[in-house]
Amino acid sequence: MQVKEVVDNPKFTEVFTTARGAIYQSDSETCWYIDFAGKLARFDYRCLLKLKRAIDSIDIEQKLMDAKSPDMEIIFICACDDTYVLTLTQIIHFKELLQGTFVMLDLNQIINNRLYRTAV
Amino acid sequence: MKDIIRVKSLLSTEIEEVLNQQIKKEAQSASIYLAMASWCDRNGFDNSADYFYKQSEEEREHQLKFFKYVLDMGGTAISPEVTNIKIEYNSFREVFEDALEQEVSVTESIKAIASRCYKEQDFVTLEFLNWFFKEQREEEYKARRALELFEVIGEEGTGRWEIDRHIPKISYSSEA
Repeated sequence: MQVKEVVDNPKFTEVFTTARGAIYQSDSETCWYIDFAGKLARFDYRCLLKLKRAIDSIDIEQKLMDAKSPDMEIIFICACDDTYVLTLTQIIHFKELLQGTFVMLDLNQIINNRLYRTAV
Repeated sequence: MKDIIRVKSLLSTEIEEVLNQQIKKEAQSASIYLAMASWCDRNGFDNSADYFYKQSEEEREHQLKFFKYVLDMGGTAISPEVTNIKIEYNSFREVFEDALEQEVSVTESIKAIASRCYKEQDFVTLEFLNWFFKEQREEEYKARRALELFEVIGEEGTGRWEIDRHIPKISYSSEA
């Protein structure tokens, strides 16, 4: 379920969307807005990297195999305003969303380099 | 769409990560050398202890060089946790064998970063690494020479005392 005002807001550029969530970039605020798990959260450059690192470091396979491990995970990013409490399925979806986003941001960098930055 | 990531940092996430791993490796090296200095000091090899104190300081400087580079380029430098440092050695020779092994592993690690930089065409970091390659020539040379003293002088009789006396004289002066 996506947050309506974001989708229609001209300030935001959609970076990547999945069935479960979306990430938008705000050029004017130099940040990203993550629409996931029923809320819209603002992440600046450092926080977005920290979030990706935190999500990537979760060993989903190990958690699935370990009967004692809880099915919930608290994603707390130091110095960021938002915390996520996610189930394992949500973590898998979040991982997919973030991976797609970073591929798109890399692609954006390649396009910027090719179109505007390089002389040849 | 603005390229925020590139505006904020020159380093890619992958390069930043390997540089942070190298920061940790250099910190570990500094601690290992300090442990070697401690062992040499405890066993009466004063000159070798001084040599390792100096090596430890150098490794710390290398660590800071990497640390500051990551920060200067807009990345996040991570102050590493260093654990499991060996404090006992079986022999005087083993200390120097480990020292050489340590330098070899640092060289190989920096080579691996450089190869990653080539892959990503990060020529800025590659240029930064050149200083370390030159430094590693000296470090490996010194560690190898120290170990060769064990062959040349021999450990029998006053051999170890003689080796310890020669350790501070090892220097590398190639202009190439």
